[in-house]
Amino acid sequence: MLAIVCATPLSGCVRRPAAHTWAKFGGNPGQGALLVGRFSCGACHEIAGVEGAIGQVGPPLSTFGERTMIAGVLPNTPENLVRWLRHPQSVVPGNAMPDVGLTDAQARDVAAWLYRKH
Amino acid sequence: MSVQMPRWIMRFLTSPRELLIFLAGGVCAFGAMGIGAVVVIEGGIFNATASTPHLAVVAVAAHTAFIRSVEVRAAGVKPPARFAPAEVAAGFRDYDASCAVCHGAPGIAQARWASAMTPPPPYLEDAARRWRPRELYWIVGQGVKMTAMPAWAEVRSDGQVWNLVGFLEALPYLTAADYQHLRAEARSAGGAKTNH
Repeated sequence: MLAIVCATPLSGCVRRPAAHTWAKFGGNPGQGALLVGRFSCGACHEIAGVEGAIGQVGPPLSTFGERTMIAGVLPNTPENLVRWLRHPQSVVPGNAMPDVGLTDAQARDVAAWLYRKH
Repeated sequence: MSVQMPRWIMRFLTSPRELLIFLAGGVCAFGAMGIGAVVVIEGGIFNATASTPHLAVVAVAAHTAFIRSVEVRAAGVKPPARFAPAEVAAGFRDYDASCAVCHGAPGIAQARWASAMTPPPPYLEDAARRWRPRELYWIVGQGVKMTAMPAWAEVRSDGQVWNLVGFLEALPYLTAADYQHLRAEARSAGGAKTNH
């Protein structure tokens, strides 16, 4: 499991995974941004900076890196996020978020982008 | 020249000569915009592929134009006072047969190819919280240019379009399990009765 570290613990910042951790994890945030548009994430989620992303079906994603739990059931780690993004219906059967068909590489891209958002 | 200029213009331009220069500048600016538009269109500079997203400025302009177009044109539409359960059920059958493939449903993804469109069709779980019934009626019935959203009024009766609106009004209250339940009900009732 990847270590969760904060570069400046005294500055009052929220702890986020450091950039080098993400480099190791993989995932291209630029590609992730395109996929977030492609799969209409903004129809259900509010995401600052994404045009038309004002959905109020699921939780807002603008500060996803600061969230502790994914869907209330999985600790917010990169592996868990990729698992959730690919198979939300297996993690929480019957929840409103569909398995949209992301590949493992695509889920990593989206995860990298979500964690980069502030 | 002894032209008397209106006082409000005099606040910005102090002489007729300045006014002439200002107007000439305006004409030149419009001319430059026209030439620019011709260059962008004739030069193939606008990227019409669906494999690339809209530029942010184009997306915002197009989306805002769409929203305002609907708000203005649907203003005179009178919605029914209420939707009967049978109408909502009919709307569900039509939605499940003709809309869900592109727009998805609670717990159900849109077709993988649908998300390859630009703009990609949105999920509609909270559409009824963003649009009035008369606006949903307008969007469903009249469609949306350059988005692949058809004008369903051309292949559905007025009542059938309203049934779809009735279902969209119910959608924010439906869980994924509810949706599956409705599907099973429709199947046991003899399958979906929809026009294609």
